[in-house]
Amino acid sequence: MALLEVKNVNKQYGSKKAMENVSFNVEAGHIVGLIGPNGAGKSTAMRAITGLMSYSSGNITFEGQPVTFSNHQALGKIGNLIEYPSIYPNLTALEHLKLYAMDTDNPADFKTLMKQTQIDGENFGKRKAKNFSLGMKQRLGIAIALIRNPKLVILDEPMNGLDPQSVHDLRRLIRELADTGVAFLISSHLLDELQKLVDDVVIINHGKIIETATMAAFFSHDKVRWALETSDNQKTINLAIANQWVANMEDGHVLVSGADNLQQVITAVNQAGIDITTMNTVTGNLEKSLLDMLANDDKGE
Amino acid sequence: MLTLMKQEYYKAIKQNRLYIWIALSFIFPLAILAIFKSQRTVNAITNFGQGTIYVFMAGIIITALSVSQEFGFGTIRPLLSRRFNRGMVFTSKLLLNFSVYISLFVAAFLGTMLGKMIFAPKINLADKINYVGTGWQNMGLTALTTLLQMIFIAALVLLITNLVKNSGAAIGLGVVMIVGTPILSSISSLLINMAPILKWNPFNIFLGVAVYRQMPAHLFKEMVHMSEGAVFTAYAVYIILMYGIAYFIFKKRSV
Repeated sequence: MALLEVKNVNKQYGSKKAMENVSFNVEAGHIVGLIGPNGAGKSTAMRAITGLMSYSSGNITFEGQPVTFSNHQALGKIGNLIEYPSIYPNLTALEHLKLYAMDTDNPADFKTLMKQTQIDGENFGKRKAKNFSLGMKQRLGIAIALIRNPKLVILDEPMNGLDPQSVHDLRRLIRELADTGVAFLISSHLLDELQKLVDDVVIINHGKIIETATMAAFFSHDKVRWALETSDNQKTINLAIANQWVANMEDGHVLVSGADNLQQVITAVNQAGIDITTMNTVTGNLEKSLLDMLANDDKGE
Repeated sequence: MLTLMKQEYYKAIKQNRLYIWIALSFIFPLAILAIFKSQRTVNAITNFGQGTIYVFMAGIIITALSVSQEFGFGTIRPLLSRRFNRGMVFTSKLLLNFSVYISLFVAAFLGTMLGKMIFAPKINLADKINYVGTGWQNMGLTALTTLLQMIFIAALVLLITNLVKNSGAAIGLGVVMIVGTPILSSISSLLINMAPILKWNPFNIFLGVAVYRQMPAHLFKEMVHMSEGAVFTAYAVYIILMYGIAYFIFKKRSV
């Protein structure tokens, strides 16, 4: 049984369908990326899972226990950071952790958590949260999401406002926790970062799930392409088309796909008397794959 | 519920400096009795050294802030996305507010007693001062009717705060209800003159509680057009109704 099961969940605002038969699972120890464009229904789904919003039909269960708008005992084992960190301006970072730790008999160790989320430095100390920068608030929000030692952590745009080092450290922390069995459901527009982190992806568009897959399976849709810079790019494109491959110009490179392998491309180009100056293999790219998938989905509508 | 109460107190003390509000409640009557010789009377002392107006205001502001701040800071989300249901969260806020009112009264009482001891030691609250009874009895009655009015206005403030998610409008209305008694009286009279059934309007009922035992029963009836029992029954109905609607809005709101 999956830790979190979302089955055929629907939500309607007037005539607008915010979620339509949304279904996906989150397994223990897995990091799941919930991905989609603005207004796709990511936050709506997260708010439904955290009991903040009612849904018209369907089921959400956590460890088999139902999670609804009015009945959400199971949320004791779920930590979350939805949309933006929720901070009391006159409380310090430690006071926030003490406040939210009251929810459980088994909170995380304050010192360890503060160190892990980097809210233990001189910048924090006795400073009140109203004086924190956006990045500091964000790190505190993540610490609050983790204070109850949750089995599932839901993070909506957790990398907002974080500097590159903090993003790197957060990624490492999430991976470490996932290795101990904690599950994560994360949405972010920073797809490069998500690509480095998530095990599974759930793609949502117009309130509907259009793909659920492991990261590896997701990229198997994406053909391997080769980016070539040659002495005559136009001639290279014509050559590729003549070989019934797909070729187009992108950022000064000829992108070729459809050949059996790279050697086949190199041989053909050399035989045509074209010099290759640079060459790269372009494999799975979450952003590209997502954009292709959304474009196909929108065409199908 | 104990966890929620602990958290509400933690927030009230750390975020809203509850101890300052309570300390001021102690200082206010003491300062009035120290500064104004004209207030060193038995009537002023039974009125908590005129500290009831402060207790009233502080209570209303804390009630409004207890809900509006959660929306304003965005902390309503972590507050509601926990194992506790919304009824428990709402109740914890009501209990916090009620206990704050009591604390404000206790502080005002202690301040008044200290002020009386220092500045008006000859006043004996055991003496009968009017038809209600002794100074102590009058003081008890003042505390009771003020507390009842606070519960009524707090219900209204909670209702407005839940509707507009902003404390400003709610506090404004609360202040009007506290200091605008003559205005409320005029509005109420106008309504009753239009149709006698409108004697049940909330302003009239509120006024009835405000003037309870400040005049003989027949004058009370003449003023509010109903008996003391009817006033208190209607008062209870209004309070239940307003808290009920406030809870309904709080329960249904998506955040």
